[in-house]
Amino acid sequence: MANIFIFLSIVLPIVFGFIIWFRQCDKVSGLLTYSLLPILTFMGFYVYSVDASIYIHTIGLLDFFIVTFDFFLLIYFAWIGMQRKSNLVIFLAIVQFILLIMVISIAPEVNTANIYVDKLSAMIYLLVALVGVPIAIYSLKYMDYNEKRKHTFIAIVVGFLGVMNFIVSVNNIEWFFTLFELTTLASVVMIGYRGDKESINNSTLALWMNQIGGVAILFSLLIMIKDFGVYHFTDLWQLDKTTITMAAFGFLSIAALVKGAQLPFHKWLLGAMVAPTPVSAILHSATMVKIAPFLLLRLSPVIQDTLLSKLLVLTTGFVFVAAAVFALTQNNFKKILAYSTISLLGLMMLAASIGSSMAVTISIILIIFHGIAKGFLFVEAGILEKLFKVKYIEDMNRLLEKAPLTLLFIIFGFLNMTFVPFGSFIGKWLMIEEASNFLSKGSSVLLIALVAIGGVFLSVLYMKVIGVAIKHHRFSKIKVYPQPKNFLFVSVWYYAILSILTIFIAPFIANFVSPIAIFITGKANGLYADGLSLVLGNSTLEFWQIIGAMILLIAIHVAPFIFKFKNVEQVHPYNCGEITKRDAQSYDFNFINNYESKINMIAITLFISVLIFGGNLL
Amino acid sequence: MSKFRKKSPWILHYNTGGCNGCDIEILAALGPKFDIERFGMLNRGNPKQSDILLVTGPVTLKCRDVLRRLYLEMPEPKVVVAMGACTFGGGVFRDFYHVENGVNNILPVDVWIPGCTPRVEALIDGMIKALDVWEKKSKDKEYLNNHSEELLKEIGAIND
Amino acid sequence: MIGLLMTIFSPIIGGLISGVERVVKARMQSRVGPPILQPFYDFFKLMDKRPIMIHSFHASMGVMYFISAWFAFAVLMLGNDLLIAVFFHVISILALSMGAFSVRSSYSIIGAMRELIHLASYEPVVILCVVGLYLSTGSFDISVILSSSNAPIFTLPLLFFAFVGAIPMMLHKSPFDVAEAHQEIIGGPDIEYSGPFYEAVYTGRWIENVFVYFLVFLFGGGNFILGAFLVVATFLLVTLIDNSTARLDYQRMLKFAWVILIPMAVFNIFFLALGGN
Repeated sequence: MANIFIFLSIVLPIVFGFIIWFRQCDKVSGLLTYSLLPILTFMGFYVYSVDASIYIHTIGLLDFFIVTFDFFLLIYFAWIGMQRKSNLVIFLAIVQFILLIMVISIAPEVNTANIYVDKLSAMIYLLVALVGVPIAIYSLKYMDYNEKRKHTFIAIVVGFLGVMNFIVSVNNIEWFFTLFELTTLASVVMIGYRGDKESINNSTLALWMNQIGGVAILFSLLIMIKDFGVYHFTDLWQLDKTTITMAAFGFLSIAALVKGAQLPFHKWLLGAMVAPTPVSAILHSATMVKIAPFLLLRLSPVIQDTLLSKLLVLTTGFVFVAAAVFALTQNNFKKILAYSTISLLGLMMLAASIGSSMAVTISIILIIFHGIAKGFLFVEAGILEKLFKVKYIEDMNRLLEKAPLTLLFIIFGFLNMTFVPFGSFIGKWLMIEEASNFLSKGSSVLLIALVAIGGVFLSVLYMKVIGVAIKHHRFSKIKVYPQPKNFLFVSVWYYAILSILTIFIAPFIANFVSPIAIFITGKANGLYADGLSLVLGNSTLEFWQIIGAMILLIAIHVAPFIFKFKNVEQVHPYNCGEITKRDAQSYDFNFINNYESKINMIAITLFISVLIFGGNLL
Repeated sequence: MSKFRKKSPWILHYNTGGCNGCDIEILAALGPKFDIERFGMLNRGNPKQSDILLVTGPVTLKCRDVLRRLYLEMPEPKVVVAMGACTFGGGVFRDFYHVENGVNNILPVDVWIPGCTPRVEALIDGMIKALDVWEKKSKDKEYLNNHSEELLKEIGAIND
Repeated sequence: MIGLLMTIFSPIIGGLISGVERVVKARMQSRVGPPILQPFYDFFKLMDKRPIMIHSFHASMGVMYFISAWFAFAVLMLGNDLLIAVFFHVISILALSMGAFSVRSSYSIIGAMRELIHLASYEPVVILCVVGLYLSTGSFDISVILSSSNAPIFTLPLLFFAFVGAIPMMLHKSPFDVAEAHQEIIGGPDIEYSGPFYEAVYTGRWIENVFVYFLVFLFGGGNFILGAFLVVATFLLVTLIDNSTARLDYQRMLKFAWVILIPMAVFNIFFLALGGN
């Protein structure tokens, strides 16, 4: 039964995508996307509840088909490169073509299942269902506002969900490469969707950057086959950890870092903002960039406690801080969100590359909660753009008067990214506690400092953005304007998921996330739920703390609607008694731009050191 | 509760264009020798948190409306103390082209401190008198002299 | 039990600290100063004022600041994880800065922005301080820290000084009172509050006093006398610095925190960790 559900999880969205594309009709699109929500959720949950790893042997024809498809894909990339006159793309496509031929020529026949699904994959199925599908639903309405080829777009989005489900279920790294390239193709198509000059440029950027990731995977495959003779994730785990060389994993980590848009390869993810907002939403939340921490989680059993893992920790920790700092200087709302994604991806990958049972748990917690919150925030960013014509921080000035409900959702999303009872906080908290446990091993002091500093910068960033938007005139009436039902449904959906998960966060983490980590690492992490309180060793996040913080934060962000003090006179704000224009803005932190090149240099250095020292290439 | 009121008067000091003689005396009162913080007095510089408006100077036309706005921003119960001769009728600045001839027709003043400039002792004495006045005041709203909607609109207190 | 009592009476303790501080400050300037109960007289006076506000949201944020500061202190006293309490503290900063951002007053907005810079300056130091306490005593649990036989101050001297350096930032004391800056932006985030609403902010500040000095007390470990001595010494030192220095701008504050305090804290933890191996 589980096998059928896995098959359907992968194929159904793709088939639905094709149907939507052929029919090009509102009714069909609506029906199919809405129906995906319960179907995919149910199937994901079923697969999750199976308590064993599922291996599926596929027929040889499929292997042949996928390899052929891969060659066509690379030819298509080269063709895109020729069309856009980008020599880099052509060059990388040719390199990949040659490397792929080499890989296939030396790849031995291995009798390992090509599909391997464990709880981690099932968790991502669920994430795709609960976070990805609502974005497709959202784009049903979004694309009605001055956008072309609505149904084609929805078809791509829905089909992409299937591809995402596929990539997390493969075991064969050769297939992984194919699907990696397929997601690259999807991002290129989606980023270049509007077809104007900027979109095309940005999609070319995304193409070649991701192609570098593809080249890295191919190199890694070559080395892997030459050194170990295996090219399946499950086979890699069986290798003797004391003797293996790290070169192959170094290259795979580079692929992960590129896909996860870590500095200095962050530009492609920023470029995604020229596309319609659902594209950003889907790239940032459930799919695409989450491949990066997923890949590192797959590798973590092998690379744990090696130099590679330590260098990865440094690199991603640095990105966590640097991206948060860069985010402070931005004035485009979607760019701020993008930088904070890059930053938090750094944290996820940091946790994943540590690889202890607790760290894996942290990584998964962050994947889940970041996915939901970021999807939520991008959905709201799209609503702001379409309904209220707000794109920049300057336009967000006094947003509460224009769009109170949307602002409420945005604040809730932001609160979810750093504040106390929410998932991302739990990630940070557990990270510091976990790192404190192995402080005596040295580098963790730096890790703690990086996590603390990055977290503070993100808090400052979110409070700054909230602050700009929350400003309002003393007599302005805060009333809710009607929104399209579709938008409201998606917003309330995310809001409800986040609230419910947060209130029951202790059992959720202990009974849902922990088993995944235990499944991957085979070790217990000492985390359990006592009623609704989360217990870790001597420390407890008690339920009264969770619910108290929840009430405080909810009261804070719905305060414009609920707190109305009658019988209190309103006076004008103090301005030394003068009447002048009151248009104070927040700091722009532009001085940080002076350090941009230096920060990029450090990022590049760390990046190369991951490859050379981590992969032990010297 | 109102019996604690006397122990914590916070001062808003505003110079409406005088010669600064009074202001120097006020600074002396804050310093170690006289130390009016003994009475819990603080110079807040913020009308929203102040109780005593300490005005000096003859009120130039430029700062007339500023004075009105500052007064309006102060929450009741509040006391206005006018210090120095020029607050009462303009003093040496009387009938100059740019002055309003004192605070009389702008704010309802509770305590006058005479002298040009008054001694610090006189200032402290005046403040203590102001406390007595303040203690008897209620939370009812107080108005500017010649209060009217037009005036409020004119000084931008209604729609800013 | 003591924790519960401390939580309930923390506003009163904080008020006393603030009263003593005003007296000590006055004596250092060779003034007589107000009575020790002065903050409470201010409290009753402010309650007795006619309430006015800019708008309801702003006023409610003042109250939320007080509640969340108190809640953070409750988490510190009643919970068993120091780190969580430190993160709870950020909620109160959120309420304060959101309220300050919400009015169209330049001073208030500048103050709120500076408040965030304060946060960026001291928060890493405080987190490192908590980690250092863990390293020294083996637990994040306050009751364990307070019953440990060796006082953390002896293993964490540099970290302690880094924390003392961060206290003026947390409590808005000179030279790092850029967010309040009474002569410049007239109180920053507090400026638009008045009457009972200012009262809430004022009391919230007292609780922050208790919060911070309790963290100092933890450096004494199981030796309560040493802890009390540390608190008094820190208090006097901070007041002395407050009296004898001029305000620095926010860049210098940020640089001081990042170039001096954080490396100090990191080095201390680093050497302690390696020494323990």
